[in-house]
Amino acid sequence: MTRGMIWLARRTIMVILVILLTTAIVAGCVGEKKAPAPAPEAEKPAEAPKEKPPISIGYLGPLTGDGAPWGKAELNTLEMLVEDMNQKGGLLGRKIKLSSYDNRMDQVETTNAARKLIEQNKVVAIIGTNSSSASIALAGVAEQYKIPHVATTATNPAVTVKESKVRPFSFRVCFIDPQQGAIMAKFAFDELKAKKVAVLYEVGSDYSVGLSEFFQKSFKALGGEIVAVEAYKTGDVDFRAQLTKIKAAKPDAIWLPALYKEIGLAANQARQLGIKSTLLGGDSWFNLDLFTVAKAAVEGSYLVQPVAMDDPGLNDFKARYKAKYGSEPGAEGANAFFANDAFSVLIDSIKRAGADDPLKIRDELEKTKALPGITGTLTISKDDHNPVDKEGVILKMEAGKYVFVKRTKP
Amino acid sequence: MLQQIVNGLSIGSVYALMAVGYSLVYSLLNFTNFAHGVVVTAGAYLAFFTLTLVRPSFAVALLAAMVGGGLLSITYEILAYRPLLIKGGRRLFLIIAGLGISTIGENLIILRIGGRFKAYPPIFPMEPLHVGPVEIAVVDIMIVAVSLIALLIFQLIISRTRAGLAIRAAAHNLATAGLMGVNSDALVILVFLIAGTLAGLAGIFLGVKYTAYPQLGAMTLKAFISAVFGGLGSLPGAVAGAYALGILETFVSAYISSSMRDVFSFLLLVLVLLFRPQGLMGRPSGEKA
Repeated sequence: MTRGMIWLARRTIMVILVILLTTAIVAGCVGEKKAPAPAPEAEKPAEAPKEKPPISIGYLGPLTGDGAPWGKAELNTLEMLVEDMNQKGGLLGRKIKLSSYDNRMDQVETTNAARKLIEQNKVVAIIGTNSSSASIALAGVAEQYKIPHVATTATNPAVTVKESKVRPFSFRVCFIDPQQGAIMAKFAFDELKAKKVAVLYEVGSDYSVGLSEFFQKSFKALGGEIVAVEAYKTGDVDFRAQLTKIKAAKPDAIWLPALYKEIGLAANQARQLGIKSTLLGGDSWFNLDLFTVAKAAVEGSYLVQPVAMDDPGLNDFKARYKAKYGSEPGAEGANAFFANDAFSVLIDSIKRAGADDPLKIRDELEKTKALPGITGTLTISKDDHNPVDKEGVILKMEAGKYVFVKRTKP
Repeated sequence: MLQQIVNGLSIGSVYALMAVGYSLVYSLLNFTNFAHGVVVTAGAYLAFFTLTLVRPSFAVALLAAMVGGGLLSITYEILAYRPLLIKGGRRLFLIIAGLGISTIGENLIILRIGGRFKAYPPIFPMEPLHVGPVEIAVVDIMIVAVSLIALLIFQLIISRTRAGLAIRAAAHNLATAGLMGVNSDALVILVFLIAGTLAGLAGIFLGVKYTAYPQLGAMTLKAFISAVFGGLGSLPGAVAGAYALGILETFVSAYISSSMRDVFSFLLLVLVLLFRPQGLMGRPSGEKA
């Protein structure tokens, strides 16, 4: 009997503990979350009884995981823009409703979330995603449901073009990887006088694989030599086996089109192995966290950027963002700026379409011409759905800062 | 070549710290504790917050990670495993509970701390030591040294103390040891404490090397392979297995293909289970620990 009682008491305590813990966690999460992703239905203002239904648009991006800083900057931007626009009377006399889901930068999550956006939230267009692999997954769903999407910073050519045919429902506002690879190859060969370059890239990332190839192609075409090509798997944190081989090839520079923390870890490990070569990176290298992870290791490295962060054209946007969120956009890269431009392009197209009909919006997206954006003037090419003539910027990492080197076209 | 061996040893020493925890729990309770990875991750975060918020001292952070890891380990043993053990639940239930704990842990970290990685403030000099043609990072020397000291202390506890005797007895048969007057509940807690402490230690070193991020604990999968390779339940086996796996991985990356590395690691797991399930040093079914 005593045993039974003890058992009962234990069990009761356990149950209470579990309940307390769950409540605490749930309460904590709810309390902390600033803006719940899908806007609750109850938010609709009650002032206009005969109000038209809102125009529903969606956002997909990484809100958790490695890519979360990028996704959060983009979603913050979109929420700010939607709020502004709704306060100013909305679009076509209707409010805009933004729904968003986390894709964790994963293809499967993206596909599921995109279906949810289209089937449940009834969006007429999607903004996203920031990464190439996920954008390509999204492109498939977009085509299946005939809903257009505008990628923010997905730079792989295959995002908008499949087997040399344009994907009808995929658009983007950033430059593409062949341009990016070519810009850096030219800079390394002409300005840094690098003759031998080694490459370390991530298999399983369309972005990284693409950049690796485009750089090699351009660099060889210029007369340079690629002395080693090494790869690692998504999720790897130790690259010393590969770097040891790269070291033996004695490169002048290392092209490292890595994505996130891998950049800092690989840079650190390279220096630990005594590699002194200059490191070269793509647009993913714009990330202030890099200076905490690998300040000394990345000193003197060069990277390509789609925009110059100190461009005065960005100031107005930066000020608005800072006033709302208390931090400058751009600490994590140019994502906020591209989210802004993706939104501009989409809104402009919906305006011209005159209705929230996905097919009409698609047709108008294709006709986007000379639209002033904050990352440059946007004209979408009908042939590949990429913005025309976007130039790149070379930055150098010096003493914990990104220093402007030059503005260049591929 | 020599450099690659050094690279492999440095990876192996972190695997070793985690593998011992697996083996220890297995030797006593005959199940694989998949919640082990969460403790490693928690150790890395605890050390990070100690370094940045409390005191920028590596010794203090090390202590925090180890104590925190040990306590966390005991906590989930009492909350999750103990009720199942009391009910006499099948081992499979324990494994599932472990997987559950690890998923909860990872997601709690994402929700409460965030998905971004946390980089430690610089603790060890970046400049490597030159030993002949080989470059060795200071942090790697620290890892090997501290791991060996920790494993040695732990081996002494097992072989020289009364508690160690009890653990060895219980590893043969927990129920019989209980009948002989060993407090088996306390013993299980002790074992989780030791495993958690070592996991916390692994956590801080992983954090120093690779930053702290929610999925850090996933690396314990490799430690699990090490433990199986060395012989689940055998502690020297776990250590040897870990170093062997570290070197194997480095060599596959270096001389075969870096993208094939995990294929070989898991192939090893399958082959060991097929042809030598007792591993390198495990004995078929007699002595353990």
